[in-house]
Amino acid sequence: MIKARRILGALLFCATALAPVASVRLLAQDSDRVRQIGGKFMCMCGCNQVLTQCNHVGCQTSSAMLKEISQALDRGQSETAITQMLVQEYGTAVYAEPPKSGFSLVAWTMPTIYLLLGTVLVIFIIYRWRKRAMPAPGTAAAPNVSPELLARARAQAERETED
Amino acid sequence: MDVFGSFALLLALICAGYAFVGGIAAILTRHPLLIKSARQAGIATCGLIFLATFSLVYLFLTDNFSVAYVVEHSNRDLSDFFKVAALWSGQEGSLLFWSFLLSIYVLSVLIAYRNKNGELMPYVGVVMAGVQIFFLTLNNFVVSPFKVLGVTGASGVLNLVARADGNGLNPLLQYPEMVIHPPNLYSGYTGFTIPFAFALAALLARYPGEKWIHLTRRWTMIAWCFQTLGILLGAHWAYAVLGWGGYWAWDPVENASLLPWLSGTAFLHSVMMQEKRGMMKVWNVWLVFTTFFLCILGTFLTRSGVVSSVHAFAQSSIGNWFVGFLMIAIAVCVIAYVKNRDYLKSENQLDSIVSRESSFLFNNLVLLVACIAVLSGTLFPVFSEWFTGSKISVGTPFFNKVNIPLGLLLLFLTGVGPLLAWRKTSPESLRRNFGWPSVLAVIGAAAMYALGYRDAYSVVCFALCAFVAATIVLEFYRGARVVRVRSGASWVASCVDLTMRNTRRYGGYIVHFGMVLIFIGLAGAAFNKDVQKEMPIGSTIHIGPYDLLLQSVDQKQEPNYTAERMIFEVLKNNKPVMMLYPEKRDFHTGQQNGTMVAIYSTLREDLYVVYAGLSPDGNTPVIHVFLNPLVKFIWFGGVVVVMGTIVALLRERKAVLVLAGAKQEAPVKQLAGAMSPSVTLSEGHD
Repeated sequence: MIKARRILGALLFCATALAPVASVRLLAQDSDRVRQIGGKFMCMCGCNQVLTQCNHVGCQTSSAMLKEISQALDRGQSETAITQMLVQEYGTAVYAEPPKSGFSLVAWTMPTIYLLLGTVLVIFIIYRWRKRAMPAPGTAAAPNVSPELLARARAQAERETED
Repeated sequence: MDVFGSFALLLALICAGYAFVGGIAAILTRHPLLIKSARQAGIATCGLIFLATFSLVYLFLTDNFSVAYVVEHSNRDLSDFFKVAALWSGQEGSLLFWSFLLSIYVLSVLIAYRNKNGELMPYVGVVMAGVQIFFLTLNNFVVSPFKVLGVTGASGVLNLVARADGNGLNPLLQYPEMVIHPPNLYSGYTGFTIPFAFALAALLARYPGEKWIHLTRRWTMIAWCFQTLGILLGAHWAYAVLGWGGYWAWDPVENASLLPWLSGTAFLHSVMMQEKRGMMKVWNVWLVFTTFFLCILGTFLTRSGVVSSVHAFAQSSIGNWFVGFLMIAIAVCVIAYVKNRDYLKSENQLDSIVSRESSFLFNNLVLLVACIAVLSGTLFPVFSEWFTGSKISVGTPFFNKVNIPLGLLLLFLTGVGPLLAWRKTSPESLRRNFGWPSVLAVIGAAAMYALGYRDAYSVVCFALCAFVAATIVLEFYRGARVVRVRSGASWVASCVDLTMRNTRRYGGYIVHFGMVLIFIGLAGAAFNKDVQKEMPIGSTIHIGPYDLLLQSVDQKQEPNYTAERMIFEVLKNNKPVMMLYPEKRDFHTGQQNGTMVAIYSTLREDLYVVYAGLSPDGNTPVIHVFLNPLVKFIWFGGVVVVMGTIVALLRERKAVLVLAGAKQEAPVKQLAGAMSPSVTLSEGHD
């Protein structure tokens, strides 16, 4: 019985000793979470910078917004709820990146579409250029510009221009 | 002097008008006197713009506070150094400065080609004069920097007045970088007018595509070099002054400078296709046009207020003028192209998909996609407001997510492109060229992973940097080995010799190496750390291996501002390494303040300390400390890029000089007779 009490006492002592360490770690995690979520919004002070990067000396807006996020996390609100809260308060201009829904999807998808379309175009060009038969020298001009005219224009350009 | 400046600007506009109209008449009539007089008018325009600019500088230096622009951007206590820089600190002066830089280019072209290219130059002169007319119209009638202060008296007569002192220069601009950053950036923007003028002139004059490329290569590279330098100096200014710990925030003004840089870079690569193979003539003409349009569009974006930007000091309602000019320029280019496109038909074809040509096509694709992605991201808030009624911001996270993969793809192509031969690369050549670089890339990635760098993009970036660096070193090694065998010179001398014999190719490699360094620096951003703390005197703050002890706080009085300075002792692994002095400056004019960041910079990392202000109770300093790895690589890479561009601009040394030093004369003579020396050394990759 005495042994069991001693073990319990030791466990309680360890728990008490480790509590501040655990709470510091939790605080650090909270702070990281605030910074992580804060990085997804703009500071509304007019600096046009991400909330966690606002560099105005003594900016009241960014600290108030970060505090708001921190308090919401303390209340156990999810990231989605915090996002809704900030959008309701500041409007869609608060987003640091467009949401991946509705019209904003255009912003996200367009670069990929450009790249895909461009790649298809480049492959098509390569395919066409490879298939194109080698023309005789000086015959590559369009039908309405004769090879002679093109050759004459080239000779004129060579004659009249110097590097 | 203000009247003198105004008059000079007005006369400049008249002269530019004559250069434009007279130039068109000269083209139509081919009258030698008209051609000469139009050219002289172009030169006179430049001279008059110089006079107007110098007169505004004189007004600043003599504290003439009867001129509104001087009042708004200067004060008596401002140093002469910054009084000169005040010229481009506001809308009016910066547009005059724009005209001034453009005039330097125009004058250089008119003088350099005064006895050359007789048929083409009138067209070039007309295009350049057209651009000058637009900016001179703005300088004269829309945003004149010579407006004087006046009050209407009791009799209704306007009396000129002078203020005792000015409002002072924006504190953010009172840093050395800010004095050299805008001239470089503007030199880039204005410089792209010259290749644009030659491209349009060649199209109008129906010159087959190659010639204007040869004529404008150096001008394009000069403009590109200035643009690069301007962007990097701007980034360094943001890093050293704005105090948020970063150098690039994807602000619309930053994006505007990046757009022509991206399309200009694409042009500098695709132009080789035209020179070597006669391909992509239409594409190159439109790339130059696009680069010029993007310069104008960027200026419109940053000065019209159409998108919100942290660079708010130069916004006004002159956007419509830029839109009008852009529309006219696009219309002229489209008409010229439609009329004369038959002269731009390509002559060659592609022999293999595994070739230098293909790599250039993909390089152009990635650069252009990045350009469009940045442009659409910058304009998205405007579009979202049009279509949905609510403005959606697009900030750093979006641009990073979109552009980092594109940047890595581009880095990969930077390594691959130079190793592929023109027309066709054999499998044996692929194995020989890609073997070692690929091994080094894998080793680089593994080393980074082992060192604890776990960010996927950064690890890929380091691997690709190793790959590209290896390809560049291999190229120098192989070339220098050939020179060494023939001349017996040392490795260093052989590399120099090799470079001077083909400055363009090896200068290009140096530029690529500079870009590798920049990418290493950018990849380091994934491992940035920061900590912010209220610090009473005597307390310490810890970050990475550093401890910063706040020893004391002092004040220093300067003519233009009072600074509150934190005095920190920096300890690394408990050993003192240096003192740092971050400060907050309160400027006497306009109740403005600013920060002065203190940076302890090493090749490995930057310790970046900001005095962010006082705590809410007003008693304790708040200190924000960042630990930014590898940032120095960015600035060092920028220097290498500029050096590489300068090397590429140098005239190539005649091959005969190298051959003269050869030990085995007979085989060399035989070789020289068989093929050109540059072909011998370039192994088909030039």
